[in-house]
Amino acid sequence: MTIRILLVDDHPVVRHGLKTLLEGRSGWEVIGEASDGAEALEKAKDLNPDVMVLDITMPKMNGLEACRLLRRQAPQLEILFVTQHDSPQMMREALDAGARGYVVKSNAARDLLAAVEAVSQHRVFTALNGRDAAGLR
Amino acid sequence: MKLRILLADDHEIVRRGLRALLEKHEGWEVCGEASDGREAIEKALQLRPDVVIVDIGMPSLNGLDTTRQLLQHDPHFKVIVLTITDSDQVIREALDAGARGFVLKSDAARDLVTAVEALQNKRMFFTPRVNDLVLAGFLEKGQTVARNEAPKLPTLTAREREITQLLAEGNSSKEVACLLNLSTKTVETHRSNIMRKLSFHSIRDLVVYAIKNNLIQIEIPPPRTPPMGPTAA
Repeated sequence: MTIRILLVDDHPVVRHGLKTLLEGRSGWEVIGEASDGAEALEKAKDLNPDVMVLDITMPKMNGLEACRLLRRQAPQLEILFVTQHDSPQMMREALDAGARGYVVKSNAARDLLAAVEAVSQHRVFTALNGRDAAGLR
Repeated sequence: MKLRILLADDHEIVRRGLRALLEKHEGWEVCGEASDGREAIEKALQLRPDVVIVDIGMPSLNGLDTTRQLLQHDPHFKVIVLTITDSDQVIREALDAGARGFVLKSDAARDLVTAVEALQNKRMFFTPRVNDLVLAGFLEKGQTVARNEAPKLPTLTAREREITQLLAEGNSSKEVACLLNLSTKTVETHRSNIMRKLSFHSIRDLVVYAIKNNLIQIEIPPPRTPPMGPTAA
């Protein structure tokens, strides 16, 4: 299955790590990268990805704000947060903002592929640290 | 012969990014990875890498104390610290710990290769801000004590710093004892000494101290914003 992914994180090294992981899956393609929420909105408009992997804490516009705006700009786009914040409150806020998935950065190597696969099929995927990668519904 | 590099960062995704970046460079190999300071020391002693890259904000044993302990084991280790902040205090501590390179994580894609090249050529690598601070310190040398400097708290020993970090991370004395191979009684004695030295009365004080002194790092969540209504712009 082909999945076109846009990566959004302010640290190029993190984007690089995520990219090498995602592109290991046959048919998955990282079609673009952005380093803040505002750039994510622009690139989403230009590139029309299937899935956006989005960080929360970023300069200019954080991921939550970007997510809320993207829900209106591109309702078909599925958003997966990959963030440092290992907190149920933040996860709730992310899902309320319109994300389909939430993965903690420290577990990204373990959870990312399953999460992208789930959200690309419009299923919810959430996994906090120390808890199972559950929440599929 | 290849230059051998050990990577220590608690995020596998960051290590993966760093590895891809470094291994593009001909003649370099990442000979090992570690996800916390303790593992970094163990692997460094076992693998004897030419360069060790350590993240400052690692759990269990932070990157600054990892650097100190590594250089106590063997002053020939060459360490580059990766950091999310280049505050004066972090810079001073990194220099004091003996790091030969200092790279901001946000600039790692640009600066890390240059930093490793510098160490390979027996030089050091610091960000422009570190250079400014070192120069300012040099120019001020000999002058009276810095004006707005806060009064210093008593210095903790390396063991006390380790225990402070582990307690501030939420471990009990028993858990700390287990992690450090000590008896619970020894850890509790250290704990009492730490609290007495710093005149602290609660674990909360200790957590605040650990954050202020870069023993642990926290990510501050973005400010809460109300969700937009259906008619909001």
